[in-house]
Amino acid sequence: MTMLRIENLFVSYGPRRVLHDVSLEVNSGEVTALIGPNGAGKSTLVRAVSGVIPLLGGTICTNGDDLAALPPMRRARYLAVVPQAVSLPPAFTAWETVLMGRTPYLNFLGQTSASDEDVVRRALERVEALELAERRVGELSGGEQQRVLLARALAQSTPILLLDEPTAHLDLQHQVSLMEMVRQLAHRDGLAVLIAIHDLNLAARYADRVVLLVAGEIKAAGTPRQVLTPDLISAAYHLPVTVVPHPFVDAPLVLPGK
Amino acid sequence: MRRLPYFWTLLFLTLAILLSIAIGSVFIPPADLWRILTGWLSTAPLPESLQTFAFIIASIRLPRTVLILLTGAALGGSGAAYQGLFRNPLADPYLIGVASGAGLGAAAAMSIQWPYTFWGLLVVPLAGFLVAMLTVLLVYSLARVGKTVPTTNLILAGVAFSAFATSLTSFLMLRSTGELRRAFAFLLGGFTQAGWNPVLTILPFLAIGLGFLILSGHALNLLQFGDEQAQQLGLPVTRTKTLILVAASLATAAAVSFSGIIGFIGLIVPHVMRLWWGADYRRLLPLSIIGGAGALLLADVLARVVIAPQELPVGIVTALVGAPFFLWVLRRAKNQGYW
Amino acid sequence: MSRKFLFTLLIVTLFLAACGPSLTATPAPSATQPPATEQPAAIPQPTAAPIVLTDGLERTVTLTGPAQRVVSLAASNTEILFAVGAGAQVVGRDEASNYPEAASSIPTVGGWSGFSSESIVALQPDLVLAGGINPPELVASLEQLGITVYLLPNPVTLEEMYTNLQTVGTLTGHEAEAAALAESLKARVAVVGLKIAALTERPTVFYEFDATDPAKPYTYGPGTFGDLLIQRAGGTNIGAQLQGQWVQISLEQLVVANPDMILLGDSAYGETPEKVATRPGWEVLAAVKDGKIYPFNDDLVSRPGPRLVDGLEALAKLLHPELFK
Repeated sequence: MTMLRIENLFVSYGPRRVLHDVSLEVNSGEVTALIGPNGAGKSTLVRAVSGVIPLLGGTICTNGDDLAALPPMRRARYLAVVPQAVSLPPAFTAWETVLMGRTPYLNFLGQTSASDEDVVRRALERVEALELAERRVGELSGGEQQRVLLARALAQSTPILLLDEPTAHLDLQHQVSLMEMVRQLAHRDGLAVLIAIHDLNLAARYADRVVLLVAGEIKAAGTPRQVLTPDLISAAYHLPVTVVPHPFVDAPLVLPGK
Repeated sequence: MRRLPYFWTLLFLTLAILLSIAIGSVFIPPADLWRILTGWLSTAPLPESLQTFAFIIASIRLPRTVLILLTGAALGGSGAAYQGLFRNPLADPYLIGVASGAGLGAAAAMSIQWPYTFWGLLVVPLAGFLVAMLTVLLVYSLARVGKTVPTTNLILAGVAFSAFATSLTSFLMLRSTGELRRAFAFLLGGFTQAGWNPVLTILPFLAIGLGFLILSGHALNLLQFGDEQAQQLGLPVTRTKTLILVAASLATAAAVSFSGIIGFIGLIVPHVMRLWWGADYRRLLPLSIIGGAGALLLADVLARVVIAPQELPVGIVTALVGAPFFLWVLRRAKNQGYW
Repeated sequence: MSRKFLFTLLIVTLFLAACGPSLTATPAPSATQPPATEQPAAIPQPTAAPIVLTDGLERTVTLTGPAQRVVSLAASNTEILFAVGAGAQVVGRDEASNYPEAASSIPTVGGWSGFSSESIVALQPDLVLAGGINPPELVASLEQLGITVYLLPNPVTLEEMYTNLQTVGTLTGHEAEAAALAESLKARVAVVGLKIAALTERPTVFYEFDATDPAKPYTYGPGTFGDLLIQRAGGTNIGAQLQGQWVQISLEQLVVANPDMILLGDSAYGETPEKVATRPGWEVLAAVKDGKIYPFNDDLVSRPGPRLVDGLEALAKLLHPELFK
């Protein structure tokens, strides 16, 4: 089921065009990976969809509701964002940070109830970070911080999850565990997941659909095998690449060089 | 000491209030003070010998104590709010120009001789207040980019404006050398007006401003994650930041218009509260309000006593005492990652 | 928690009452006494009718009788009070009131850094005599506390100063003495005027009252008594050509004006003729070369009271020593 429909999006930073006529769909129960070289506009797209960048044109809909027209509070009940874990306020505990995710359901004072706390606990369990609950975020490692942010997004209880390069600063084992969690959230819990990611092979392995963004335009969209072809990738990254079948899993493997 | 933050802070405030009532340039023996205070609770009239002291306490010290309390509360509360809003440990209530605006307004008003009437006497504080709010408005308009108000812009515009206003103030002061001392006294901070009028005048602004700030704790917590994340979590960021800015500026401008520019309270009190009791703004704001009130009261007691019967400008005391005190507190909490 | 809180509060209050705060202010000597039941010995003129005057802030001030307990907030006011014979009626003064000698033993209530309403109230004054030097907020504060305040306006001419003497005389029940004082002052001024009337030569004078920056010292401009008295003493104040009352003059202008005489109104702050002679660039001045640099008591021209006439005579002596022995 199409949960998020993005149509004809135009975004500019002043005179500079950043996104040009971008359309894509994100379905429930699927991980859709957004790939492309740096500066292509992946982050911008995620941020524009979440509403923090003004649109020059286009619509963002979920189930017929125009998300762009909603006030931030209502919008935050539909989509949650997992940003990169950089410069987080160090003094809040993991628990307090995840609790912030309940904001769309709280009053201005931020008063929480027992049910909110349940949601937070379950979110932390889901990302296997419950034991970190009372630790200050400033003391956690990059991987742990990223999981806390994922838990926060989960606490928002939204049908749509957006992730903005969450693996960018993580060690290999944390990258893999995070992607595993993300895939489970889509396949097992039915979320519609859009993840901007720069690592092509992680995208190949964990995404159900891949969208290639180059210089603000969609160049290709389809299954990993359909999009991660030597022609498309070489053209996008200005680098000859070879694509081989992955030795262990059913996914393509992109290798630089010919 | 880690628990019961409200208990300790309120205790601190109560002690400060008692000291402020008990101490002044006229020495009132504690026994007499006790008799006066208990005498008020009973219906019997006070004996002749205590009349003067009772008058001093009721008509001079009590209104002054309340005024200082309110001023310190405003500075502490808006200091915490500004630090949260700008996510900058160096932020204080004067960051975007309230102090320089108030100074300019007051100095300009002082260079004209106003008639000695109710309104004539109100001109200087009124001018200070209005120019302070005007400065905030101008800085805000300058800093706005489309629909957002980036904090960096606010800081830059605030600094630029403050420099401009301060130099203009200095020029005005040099030109009207007769009023130099009066303008200087304003800039150093102090409580010169007696009676309940100042209290009644600033109370509504403080009630609105501080009242809103106390309710904004959760919003400030969210803003610590940055404008983008706060918006993604559901906070209407621009509107909230604007309201918090206005509320804090309102409280500060009102306080400053009668007390002059008193520094360090708005900077240091929130830091101390944060060090001891954490960075959750839902608690930090009320604690900073109470702590600011108590701290300023203590500073004023010192100001009254050190060169009695003359008074040191309170702003000098807060700077001289506040800075070393803060350094000491900071050393005790070196690696705690409290910010 | 509230019980614990109240209990602690009670303990603290009792503690304060029993042991007293360790921070106590050094009290002004007579301020520790509760209201005196006996009046200090005074020499009032018995006047039955109330005294109603309008002060410098256009306020109507009413006294039921001559003031017996006066607090002076300006040094000039203190001098006037003593000069009209009301010295014994002064119960409080500001820190700068150092003349006459007898004034120094009167308790102080404040000074350059502000005044203590408490100290003033504790003295139980029936009149506070403020001056142009005090801000209107202070007057308002004291008024609010039920204290009678009279603001003596800053005089600009000698005639206005005489009027102030009369006013203070009326306020304190010394009208006759004040009138006599005014007459004697007028006579002395007339004597000076007569002697210099026939003069053809008027030495030029540079009067310095602040030389924190020796390249731009401060002098009296038009509208000040310094300027006025120099003229009346038979001199020409080179500051008269400047704009403003307390103005800076640049060394260049000074060199061009080349005054015959330099008066050091800042001698109380350590300026001496020897020091002036060593200032870079000042050696070209005629007054420096001729050694015509004299220290001067600035109070005699800056405090708007009867000593202005002393100042006039002192200036006349310096300017025309042959006429005034």
